[in-house]
Amino acid sequence: MNKKPHADHIYIEALLKNDSRVLSKLYEKFSHKIVSYVRNNNGNADDAQDIIQETLVIIYHQAKEKNFILTCPFDAYFYLLCKRRWLNELKKRGTNRVTILEDEASIKDEHEQQVEETELFEQQNQLFESKFKELGAKCQELLKATFKIKSMEEVAEFLGVTYGYARKKKSQCMGKLTQLVKNSNEFQQLKDF
Amino acid sequence: MEELRYIEFESYLKNELTEMEKTAFEEKLQSDADFKQEFEIYKALETSLSSKFKNEEGEKELRKTLTNLGNQFIKEEKVIKKKSKIISLFNYKKLMVAASIALLIGFFIFKNGNPVYSDFANHTNLEFTVRGDNNQTITKAATAFNTKNYKTAFAQLTVLEAEFPNDIELQLYKGICLLEMDKFTQAETIFDKISTGNSAFSTKATWYKALSYLKQEQFEACKNTLKTIPESAEEYKLAIKLLRKL
Repeated sequence: MNKKPHADHIYIEALLKNDSRVLSKLYEKFSHKIVSYVRNNNGNADDAQDIIQETLVIIYHQAKEKNFILTCPFDAYFYLLCKRRWLNELKKRGTNRVTILEDEASIKDEHEQQVEETELFEQQNQLFESKFKELGAKCQELLKATFKIKSMEEVAEFLGVTYGYARKKKSQCMGKLTQLVKNSNEFQQLKDF
Repeated sequence: MEELRYIEFESYLKNELTEMEKTAFEEKLQSDADFKQEFEIYKALETSLSSKFKNEEGEKELRKTLTNLGNQFIKEEKVIKKKSKIISLFNYKKLMVAASIALLIGFFIFKNGNPVYSDFANHTNLEFTVRGDNNQTITKAATAFNTKNYKTAFAQLTVLEAEFPNDIELQLYKGICLLEMDKFTQAETIFDKISTGNSAFSTKATWYKALSYLKQEQFEACKNTLKTIPESAEEYKLAIKLLRKL
């Protein structure tokens, strides 16, 4: 697929580079609308700040891992993501009977697609992370080491085991994790596989 | 059995299989749906976790920046709302609404006259909280600027410039001070430099260049400068308003 980045892709790059200059522009331009939305829907400015930050962190990870390219205006994409995240949060808090103020902006298909891409990425991430935490402490430690340190030789040395053992252990732990993911309810709902 | 499968996955991903083993592996991917599904999960886990752990530090750093910005742009809005009617950078939209109302009134009153600089020179307040530390000079500069004491503000900003030589926002505010003091040539030099760069402040600088022409009543030059402001810029609406009056 040949995707042409939108001019607003600068915001994605700013996240990757932790460029506070451009990111402050992002906050200046886009946060106000989200704060108003959250405020009008049973939340306060602190909630809005969290929603914005968590959304940006997910976009950061998606860009790092999947080379995410933004092909639509950032405004609509970001607003919809934050909005949906806030609605989810309300659900989690068990706030019933919320009056959701729907706004006039209709979202184009292309935006929707990008939003879904990011949401799917996050759901998968959350699933993997929660299953990772179900592994035994030994497995977690070993896997963390293998992903942080590139060479298996160094991992073995770091953990004080032989290279052969570390390797075998790694596939074992990853196998266990694969099983956990495969047998989870959430996995059935992820359409990516 | 199972364990061998995962060792095989690992070797395949690390590209350690012989040609023959590789072909056999790929054939199995085609024919065995369960094998394929597990492999896909294994592979996705590998990429996801490896990316996550590798970028742990990066995420931490990013979060620091975002927390600062959030405090600056979101919390501050809360404080300002409670305390006073200061128009912060954040309330830019409101400022534009206010500016358009002011313009509208201006339009009725001075229907036949040319637009006046002071109708358009609504500077957003100077707020340098992004630089973090409680720098005295920063506070002095901001207070002076926000109370329209441009001479003092200019002096303080010049001191600050030595500390943050690459800060474009600071340059822009220096330019505004100069403009307010009618030092047009110096002001325009600064605006020109910023507007030809690719910082976030380039169109704002163009807008101020136009205001500088307006203040000198060089209406043609003002028009031509305004026309270079792109539709996507924040200053576009203001530019159109001013253009209509010229």
